Amino acid sequence: MQYALVTGGSRGIGRAVSVALAKQGYNIIINYRSNKAEADHTLELVRQAGTDGELLPFDVADAQQATAAIEQWQDAHKGEYISVVVNNAGIRKDNIMALMPPEDWSSVISITLNGFFNVTQPLLKDMTRKKFGRIINMVSLSGLKGLPGQTNYSASKGGLIAATKALAQEVARKNITVNAVAPGFIRTDMTEDLDEEAIKATIPARRYGEPEEVAELIAFLASDKAGYITGEVININGGLYS
Amino acid sequence: MTHTEVTEKLSDVLATEFEVDRSAITPDAPLMQTLDLDSLDLVDVVVIVEQNFGITIRQEDFVGRNTFADFSDLIYSKINESK
Repeated sequence: MQYALVTGGSRGIGRAVSVALAKQGYNIIINYRSNKAEADHTLELVRQAGTDGELLPFDVADAQQATAAIEQWQDAHKGEYISVVVNNAGIRKDNIMALMPPEDWSSVISITLNGFFNVTQPLLKDMTRKKFGRIINMVSLSGLKGLPGQTNYSASKGGLIAATKALAQEVARKNITVNAVAPGFIRTDMTEDLDEEAIKATIPARRYGEPEEVAELIAFLASDKAGYITGEVININGGLYS
Repeated sequence: MTHTEVTEKLSDVLATEFEVDRSAITPDAPLMQTLDLDSLDLVDVVVIVEQNFGITIRQEDFVGRNTFADFSDLIYSKINESK
């Protein structure tokens, strides 16, 4: 059985990714921090897609919690390993920097950037041993271009892009790929507070993307077919930025 | 497992895994150069050692260790720690 771990898998893009990978035959380990009801719903959708899954609640920003949860999973699944990880957990706490509370800077960085390290690092030895792995990091247009009102979010995603490129070079010889996916405006809870009409006018495709469109890209990057793509940041933004 | 047994097993395993002549592995020989490894390959050594000796190695354990003797000392002490 092949296992894929999706952080922040309870809603939005994480949920769509969980379902897309389930359709590809993976057992899905759905990580979430607090919303068990939504995570249960994702699990139900995974099962409807024809495979199985399980919930693995922990806060990705908490190194001890993350390591303990992953090691517990590894101990309970001797001889098996997590071959795909999608680092999707992230939050936005937008504010212009002059008015940004320091804790909003730290929490956004902690979840996105430290979360990537806390979750991925304990998986690398197994991927190395098995000589196969797929690490896919959810970044953002914000991390490429920098967006006003998002210095914290832009910094965390920009940092994650750099880490993606660095790690890709460390592990490429082990048949482990590391890529980043940078969505533009995707219809999720994270974008529902934005002025959709005004934003759509700025997008060449004149629409928001759907979580399932991002999930299909991630499913491809997770597949054997994408074995020679590594260290890349792939935009999926309707032509907004390239 | 005695210290000598650790040394013998480590030499056998590494010679096989990294396809080097067993006679090139001597206590004072530098591990990385002898096995023709760069720093990115270090994880391979860790994984192989952990798998074969049932111990956990952390990055800080490597500080100041260069020769095969240094590594077999490390493994020997880790095995005894875990008892």
